[in-house]
Amino acid sequence: MTEPTSRRVVFVVGSGRSGTSTMAGTLRTLGMHVPQPEVVADATNPKGFGEPRWVVDLHTELLARSNVQVSDARPRAWLDTGTTSGDHATRARVADWLEEQLAVADELVIKDPRAAWFLGLWRAAADRCGATSSYVTMLRPVTEVVGSKQTYYGRMGAGSDQGAVTRTAAWVNMMLHTERATRGQQRAFVHYGDLLDDWTRPVFALGEAFDLTAVKTAMAVDIAEVHRFIDPSLRRVTMTWDDIGVPARLRELADETWQALDGIAADDSPKNQEWCDQLRAAYSEQYAEAEAFAHSTVVAQRRAAAAQARREAGAEPGRTGVDRVPHAVRAMVPRAVRQKLRKVVGRERPPQQGQA
Amino acid sequence: MPDIASLEGDPAYDVTWPWTSGEPLVPGLTCVFRVRNEARNLPWVLPPIFSAVQQVLLVDNGSDDGTADVARRVAEECGAADRLTVLDYPHRVSRAGGEHLATPATSVHSLTHFYNWCFAHVRTTYSMKWDGDMVLTPEGAGILRDLAWQLQATRAIVAMPRHPLTVVDESTGWLDLSLRFLEPWIYPMGPDFTFVKAFDWELREFPSGVERIVLQQGLVLEVKWLDADEYAHWRRDGVDFTNTRLYRKLREFEVDEAIRNGDPEALGGLVRVTAPDGVHIIDHVSRDWLWRQPRPLVQHSLPATLKERVRP
Repeated sequence: MTEPTSRRVVFVVGSGRSGTSTMAGTLRTLGMHVPQPEVVADATNPKGFGEPRWVVDLHTELLARSNVQVSDARPRAWLDTGTTSGDHATRARVADWLEEQLAVADELVIKDPRAAWFLGLWRAAADRCGATSSYVTMLRPVTEVVGSKQTYYGRMGAGSDQGAVTRTAAWVNMMLHTERATRGQQRAFVHYGDLLDDWTRPVFALGEAFDLTAVKTAMAVDIAEVHRFIDPSLRRVTMTWDDIGVPARLRELADETWQALDGIAADDSPKNQEWCDQLRAAYSEQYAEAEAFAHSTVVAQRRAAAAQARREAGAEPGRTGVDRVPHAVRAMVPRAVRQKLRKVVGRERPPQQGQA
Repeated sequence: MPDIASLEGDPAYDVTWPWTSGEPLVPGLTCVFRVRNEARNLPWVLPPIFSAVQQVLLVDNGSDDGTADVARRVAEECGAADRLTVLDYPHRVSRAGGEHLATPATSVHSLTHFYNWCFAHVRTTYSMKWDGDMVLTPEGAGILRDLAWQLQATRAIVAMPRHPLTVVDESTGWLDLSLRFLEPWIYPMGPDFTFVKAFDWELREFPSGVERIVLQQGLVLEVKWLDADEYAHWRRDGVDFTNTRLYRKLREFEVDEAIRNGDPEALGGLVRVTAPDGVHIIDHVSRDWLWRQPRPLVQHSLPATLKERVRP
């Protein structure tokens, strides 16, 4: 590893729809570099995502390799992405890319809702490049996150709030494990609401805490630009539990997770971290129970998938050289000869088929 | 009633597992060292371990070089004094091989009993044995640090390859990349994961079908000092290395001999590394050299001549 330098990589993490794009866009406007090209803006995020295309593609590939979804509620999914993160070739690839980006600018912002799954990989790559890693976790009430996802990504499961339950669980999993993954590192927690109300305070604090030249030396024109960029009306979805059908037990866990993270945002102390540890254990327990409860569904789906795979596989090996002969040509062979040929290759038709 | 009463009837060295005594295991990973005279290595070994795991248990077995004091000092320097527990195991432990085979498993002199006694002091859900000469790279420490919480969602064992580094002097070393030296190090705590006696040494049991995670190469060094002449007694004792289980030991002996005789290239699989001025060879290899090397670092796990002897 090289000696510490002025190189900085700020990872903006937290659940999607929590203001991560607003934070990344703010830091970019103040002069930090978002690796190009970026994912283009769309109706779900009209001011842009602040997400480097390369990073999104990489994470998508690694999630597929790990068999993990972007919003995955399984506690063990972290082990699966963690194992993938250790791959030497992937580390070399990410470090090479990061080195190229740091050649463009000393201070980078990397934001992607998938990034939390691969922080170990990014930290190692940043270390190889002699860059200091730091983490901003965006906090937004779970009801607003889930409500926003329901609004912008669509409802999962026809006519039910199954999607809200799954998304709430995934939020708890994401937030508690992101806290664990960034613990002991240079980090900050920022409320989305605070960013919209008065962005100068949390962003100034980040500049000081992470020693970000771009923020510390921001010019008036950049600051004015951020004021134009941050649009309080972005917070278009405000919801409460009354709007979302989530069982009381999960709701309580999500509420307490929110309180614990709120506590850590104010005071990143061992006591509050221990609170998060207890909640993570409680979540894992609740998840394991739910998994056991729904095990029959899993078994049924596994059997259906296996049967489907067998059907698909069965269609293929059955094909022989004969099958590849066009039907019109095969039809020219007299029926009696066809039957003898079938007998020779052991593919006699059952009587009812032969009548067709 | 202890789980395993010591054959010698010394209650202080009986084994009582926490699940028997009703003591809870908290989520986390404890690193267990059983050491004798590792004072020289611990300043390299302990800091990355403290950065990776929640608790360190160091069991001193008759050191006379101040091993325990060095461990306490390094822990203090790492701000980890409250995460280090030092215990003393005063009994002479049988050497691996024939002496071990002749020792009953519940004797305080048995490696098996020694291991069970050490691990019975662990109070986290996962434990790992670690040797007093094994140095984690910074990336290795990062991966273990993440595994310490990622593993909590399951019960898996974790194997990692290690690479012996023979230190010739402060700036020169020979790294053995001929074998993977792959062993499981991390296990869940529980009645299914205790130690039993094998022919040459102890063996940690695990239930069939348990998930096994294999970490990549290049994360751990095993430090050997040429000037310590660790294999002197082997030359005298004429240990029989004709079976596969002991091949790893034979290789260590051969490497030591080859370097000592000034002809390590002829042995094959050894790479000479030289550190830049002012950087110790252990620091250089672990922090800056290993991750830059192309993969795979090691091509095979056993020489072809011995492969056929390994049961599938």
